[in-house]
Amino acid sequence: MSRVAPTRGSKTISFLLISFSALLLYLDTTYKSFEGIKNTYKSFEISTSYVLKKLAIDPILYIYEISSYKAYLIKENKELRLALDESHLANFIISKDSNFFANDQLIEAFIIKNGLDDIFHLAKIKFFDTQLYFCCSQHRVFIEIFNKPSIEFIGSPVINSSGILGQIIHNNNFLEVLLLTDESHVIPVESENYFCNAEGNGTTGKIYCTYSTLLWPEEIKQGQKFFSSGMGGVYPRGLLIGTVGEIKKIDESIIRFEIDLIADPLQENILGVLENL
Amino acid sequence: MNNVSIPKVILILFIVDYIESITAPILIQAFINIPLTFLVFSFVVYRSNSNPGSIFAFFIGLYVDIISDSPIGLNAMLFCIMSHLINSYSNTFRLFSYFQICLFFSASSLFFIGFKNLFINIENFSYLELITSFIFNSFLLITLSISRFNFLRNISRR
Repeated sequence: MSRVAPTRGSKTISFLLISFSALLLYLDTTYKSFEGIKNTYKSFEISTSYVLKKLAIDPILYIYEISSYKAYLIKENKELRLALDESHLANFIISKDSNFFANDQLIEAFIIKNGLDDIFHLAKIKFFDTQLYFCCSQHRVFIEIFNKPSIEFIGSPVINSSGILGQIIHNNNFLEVLLLTDESHVIPVESENYFCNAEGNGTTGKIYCTYSTLLWPEEIKQGQKFFSSGMGGVYPRGLLIGTVGEIKKIDESIIRFEIDLIADPLQENILGVLENL
Repeated sequence: MNNVSIPKVILILFIVDYIESITAPILIQAFINIPLTFLVFSFVVYRSNSNPGSIFAFFIGLYVDIISDSPIGLNAMLFCIMSHLINSYSNTFRLFSYFQICLFFSASSLFFIGFKNLFINIENFSYLELITSFIFNSFLLITLSISRFNFLRNISRR
């Protein structure tokens, strides 16, 4: 169906409306006459979008959040547990360094309450040059006994919760402990029917034994346990010293092996001192 | 096609204006300006069986002015001019090819962009934008008309 061409009347109306539009445009650009209408529309648009969001989008989001809430809780629980573990670890380290172990009164009360003086004397590390311990062959620790009994401690073995660390060699202001790994230290050890004088050479955590296969033909195995033999009268017999590590053949008949010590002087800063045997 | 009812036109233009407000900031970076509301209004008038009056074009233009935050009267005036042009040449368009009609609407959109920039964006008036927009709009309209033609031909084959 064809459309009718504009009549003279419709052309006139078009012309008038175009002119009127131009007038409106002039008024708006020059005098900002229609800002009120525009602002009203904008406020209506904003409030409508807000209401629509509240009525339409928010409920959908709420349903989605509820559905994903369980997964979120599980994830949050895991994160909290991890944070708690880290916090426990941090607190443990802090308390070990400062609070529990530095509180002498608490430790003394603990000793008296449990009658520990009858078994061994508790001591704390006063000075330990760890740089010297890691770099060089002189491995010494300076300790102080809590209750300060009037006993001569020179030659007394020093232990921690893992085992033997060394023996006291001097008693000046503090007790000087010669560690097993010091180059001048020797400890008699045994394993089954084999005896050996294990020497330190300044390597941390290791002492060394040398033996002749002519004297002891049985083969030494890695992981074999060595105990204090009690010979020499310093250390009590039967305490686990360590296990066999690397084994080296020096020549045809001489074997040298290392013993990995089970007691680490860096493990604790509270030690035990046994009275002389 | 047929006359589209006024509420439907209002709704369509509202949606198209929203789409334009999203796409325009992206396309302008490539110096392309597609006056979607103007083109949709022109298409509605072009496809109408009867002559939509100038009063209809004027009020629709005012409505677009308000929703698109343009100076009041700008779209009203351009819509009036466009509806008058389409009504005047409605029968002549039958003699034109699709390509010519596409070029006509592209040229109209070019005029619309240029005129709008004179009022809104005179400081950044750009001939590059006009040329790019004209080429892009021509390409877009031709593509749409070809796809529509193919679509109809496929339907008629079935």
